[in-house]
Amino acid sequence: MNEEISFWILSAIAVLGALVAVRKRNLIHGVFALLVFFAGLSGLFLLLLAEFIAAVQVLVYIGAVGVLLLFAIMLTERVAGDDDRRMISRGWSWGLLAAAAVFVVLLLRPIQQLPSQDAAQPIKPSVEALGHKLINPYVVTLEVLALLLTAALIGAVTAAQGLSMPKEEDSPE
Amino acid sequence: MTLHHYLILAAVLFCVGLMGAFTRRNAIVVLFSVEIMLNAANLNFIAFWRYSDNPELLHGPMFTLFAIAVAAAEVAVGLALVIAVYRHFKTVDLESINTLRE
Repeated sequence: MNEEISFWILSAIAVLGALVAVRKRNLIHGVFALLVFFAGLSGLFLLLLAEFIAAVQVLVYIGAVGVLLLFAIMLTERVAGDDDRRMISRGWSWGLLAAAAVFVVLLLRPIQQLPSQDAAQPIKPSVEALGHKLINPYVVTLEVLALLLTAALIGAVTAAQGLSMPKEEDSPE
Repeated sequence: MTLHHYLILAAVLFCVGLMGAFTRRNAIVVLFSVEIMLNAANLNFIAFWRYSDNPELLHGPMFTLFAIAVAAAEVAVGLALVIAVYRHFKTVDLESINTLRE
């Protein structure tokens, strides 16, 4: 019963957060709505007894990605967002239609065809086992991931510095 | 709560993200729509893991962990690219960045 109430509250928070983040004109407000969405999702992970993933969600998304997005917004356009004419792209109705079609055809139907499955069995706290798994079978993946993050860091710095475009020497008139 | 509740919630979130990516013109908003979609996928992983027959194998959380790390790298690179594009074009409006088409 309690679980049901928390599920509905958390999913309402997540869906509303996502909707506001996507629709809001002011980008800063949008990022804060996105943070609310991440928090709701972290609560859902807790509800599914994935406590470590919930903690990682808070640390990585609310902590790091949120700050990164705020900085990127403040480094680019006007913070207050676009004026009325420029918020929505030209073919927006097709986009909306495509999203609805994906939902109904690609997602809803297979989900309904899944055998219904209720009340999972209780499970043990998984943090310790996760740590062991990271070292024993998944150590190569972990190292590759470390390499990827390093490469992404270097790449991000290089890209953000702006590869100085070679000056177009006196273009032909 | 059944598995279906979580799957439908994840599908709704995914489509909200898809809608944002399709209909907004600001590159940063498109980036965070992609984040919403990635998070919906993570919710699916965790839900399938929780309702699977042997959750002690921990496949779901491991995959989610790696997906979160890759998504973090993606955000960093994506935002750096947005900033680079802004430097060059003086806008992040996706419909005015169309020099490849001309």
